[in-house]
Amino acid sequence: VSKGINCLDAAKACNLNGTCKKYRSAYITPCTTRVSMSEVCNKRKCHKALRLFFDKVPQKHSYGMLFCSCQDTACIERRRQTIVPICSYEDKEKPNCLNLQESCKTNYICRSRLADFFTNCQPESRSVSSCLKENYAHCLLAYSGLIGTVMTPNYIDSISISVAPWCNCSNSGNNQEECEKFLNFFKNNICLQNAIQAFGNGTDMNVWQPVPPLQTTTATYFKIKDKTLFSSAPLRNINEISTDDYAKIISVCANLQ
Amino acid sequence: RSHKGKRRNRGCVLREIHLNVTDLELGYKTKEELIFKYCSGSCDAPETTYDIIVKNLTKKKKLVKDEVKQACCRPTAFDDDLSFLDDNLEYHTLKKHSAKKCGCI
Repeated sequence: VSKGINCLDAAKACNLNGTCKKYRSAYITPCTTRVSMSEVCNKRKCHKALRLFFDKVPQKHSYGMLFCSCQDTACIERRRQTIVPICSYEDKEKPNCLNLQESCKTNYICRSRLADFFTNCQPESRSVSSCLKENYAHCLLAYSGLIGTVMTPNYIDSISISVAPWCNCSNSGNNQEECEKFLNFFKNNICLQNAIQAFGNGTDMNVWQPVPPLQTTTATYFKIKDKTLFSSAPLRNINEISTDDYAKIISVCANLQ
Repeated sequence: RSHKGKRRNRGCVLREIHLNVTDLELGYKTKEELIFKYCSGSCDAPETTYDIIVKNLTKKKKLVKDEVKQACCRPTAFDDDLSFLDDNLEYHTLKKHSAKKCGCI
């Protein structure tokens, strides 16, 4: 069982890879360049460069920095800084989430990526993965796809892996319930949280891919590994899977060999 | 001429070294790392007619009063920018800090 990737290691790995280094500085520059006294950056340029980063850089590196696993606050803060939130995320005012959703729908990219997110990160409590689509890779792809749109999400606190776009549900009027539902799809989404956690813990990406029919031995291995990971560790603590669970996984793997 | 010269000055090449950003001693406090690429090697063989003339005149001691340098191995292009997060959670970007191509110039 591979160890989790922490956020500093992910940043180091990125700068040692030509492509990641190039596209990382290509978004850090516009996202940290002040344009006037009143504006910290050109948000439009920052968003565009962030979309390019997630589009061009191998997921091993881009997800490595976005979904790294943390044990301490320095790591958590670094993870939160990945998207340069002061420019890409925060704004002077927090709009109502349903209003934000409306403005997202007026943009082609944002509309389609938000739809992908709702499709691919749909929670389902009865499935082993907690996802209706049973595919973490697709959920993470849809989530990271929102970065660089008006719906850009980020981690919201220093203890959990809870995320949200820059909006809240005050002034929702009659739509309070609808707004809460929308916001909670980000904040309390067990499918998304499991997907983020599984990546951070270093679970092989192949676990989530459709299994090719010829590799029967590998298929059994991954299937068992997958089931063990998520049936024996049903998210007691959102942050880390205990060493106990790792021991179980190791013993299953050992039996197979 | 320049084609021949390039072949002759084979000594001038791009090398790289894996460093901590702090090793650069530019005043940043961070734990991030980088690959620093630099140019090294000799540029003894004349690249241009200019280099030949300088060499000839130096040999004949016609330029004794002036210090005329021969070509040296330098970056002819720089690597992409490098960004990193420091210990105070501030981003910094280094430009033209690392070589991409080398030449005797």
